[in-house]
Amino acid sequence: MAETFPINVWINEERYAKLQAAGLADLCQEMLAGLKVLRVPTTAEQRDELLKRYPMAKFDSATTKSIELLPKAVKDQIFDLIVQKKKVDVIGEFLK
Amino acid sequence: MSEIGHGGKPIVERILDPGTAKEKIKGLKEIPVREQMAVEVIDIAYGFFSPLEGFMKKADVESVCKNMRLTDGTIWSIPIVFDLSDKEIADYGIKAGDSVLLTYQNAPIAIFEIEEIYDYNKQEMAKDVYGTTEEKHPGVKRTYRYKDKFLGGKITMVSRPIINEPFTPFFLTPLEMRKRIKEKGWIRTVAHQTRNVPHTGHEWLMKGSWLSAYGELPVEKMVVGVVVNAIIGEKRPGDYIDEAIVLCHDVLRKAGYFREDVHLTSISLWDMRYAGPREAVFHAALRANLGITHHMFGRDHAGVGTYYDPYDAHRIFDKFSEKDLNIKPVRVLEWWYCPVCAEVTYMGLCAHKDQIQNFSGTLIRSIIQDGVKPPRLIFRPEVFDLILECAEKYGQGDAFVTQKYLENRNPVFTFPKL
Repeated sequence: MAETFPINVWINEERYAKLQAAGLADLCQEMLAGLKVLRVPTTAEQRDELLKRYPMAKFDSATTKSIELLPKAVKDQIFDLIVQKKKVDVIGEFLK
Repeated sequence: MSEIGHGGKPIVERILDPGTAKEKIKGLKEIPVREQMAVEVIDIAYGFFSPLEGFMKKADVESVCKNMRLTDGTIWSIPIVFDLSDKEIADYGIKAGDSVLLTYQNAPIAIFEIEEIYDYNKQEMAKDVYGTTEEKHPGVKRTYRYKDKFLGGKITMVSRPIINEPFTPFFLTPLEMRKRIKEKGWIRTVAHQTRNVPHTGHEWLMKGSWLSAYGELPVEKMVVGVVVNAIIGEKRPGDYIDEAIVLCHDVLRKAGYFREDVHLTSISLWDMRYAGPREAVFHAALRANLGITHHMFGRDHAGVGTYYDPYDAHRIFDKFSEKDLNIKPVRVLEWWYCPVCAEVTYMGLCAHKDQIQNFSGTLIRSIIQDGVKPPRLIFRPEVFDLILECAEKYGQGDAFVTQKYLENRNPVFTFPKL
């Protein structure tokens, strides 16, 4: 399977309430001593396209190998798409 | 008794008293400089860059680029140069042998005795210093931005800069820092280089290196200190604002994560070059001038992208003898969160490699941007609260650098009019 590069969508209370209401709380993983996160996979091409579209974002190649610092509004859109599609693998659709 | 700095030379402040300065600058041609040059004038004049007495001449630049040493044999890794365009040189009508007055924001800052005007192949400089000629490397980009010619010669500052709040108490010149270290009774000190708000990974880097540096010394009274030395310089959008970096480091002590008698927060002015191993050597020289005895180097120190191996900045110190550098490198691996150990732990100790969770400053920023408060094991609540306070007080509502912040921030330093 090709390597994927996650976007970490960190779950605050508001997001968690939405996930619970949609019956999707199980999609969350727990990281770093109790933080809830949705790990949204991207392919190398999707990662490059996201970094091109959102130059403020950063691929943390050194430590976490994840895409970080996407604007909150963008993450909100990704989060809404996850709730709508009931899965985390939504970046293909998001980029359309 | 003189204070001996990097390269075994005494630290000498190259600063005129106000009366002499007023006389000496009369009739000199004025050359306005940009912020980088003003910063480097301050660094030269106070002795942060000792033994440099001014901007480098060609022989020193060449020697630094090719051999990582000044022509007198002192280890030095990054050229400190003053640039002007051909047109500016013609317009100002300056030549080798002239003395000119450098000004910054319409205030006089230093007399520059121009000894040499020369050119230097910038691609070659980039290749030697950064190991690449790619413009996307920020240090290379800066090198290519230098104008047509370089001017070498001695600098003498004509007035002391005012360091503005909230940075005022954190700016300690080499002579002041040495005095402060003596007052604290520290026999050894370990420098923590930073341009980040601290998470607990950073905290443990500092604590781990403090333990390393402490070694065999007596423990009845703490005789080793951590000196946080934040680099304050050119900012990029998305970086933490400088005020948050400095104040959040300081709050680690105020909130008791470090005892009062083992921790000191300070700043140095410098535009990061991201030269990886060469920048590590430069940082060692800078902190040696501050009188610090040990310097912690972590993974990918001062690196950028994938230009350097994560531990190049450790291995470069194998090239030097103890005589070359009067500061000892403390080499450290990563600290990470391990859910099995249920703590932030050290790569050199924890064997749960497949289960560890790495975290970085970038990751923490991402968590904060998502409106989530990180757990105290990862990020101290006092630091989190202070970030929000700094965002309101200094960042126009944002803890990260924005265009608005760059345009409206209170300057770190200003020079008084004479």
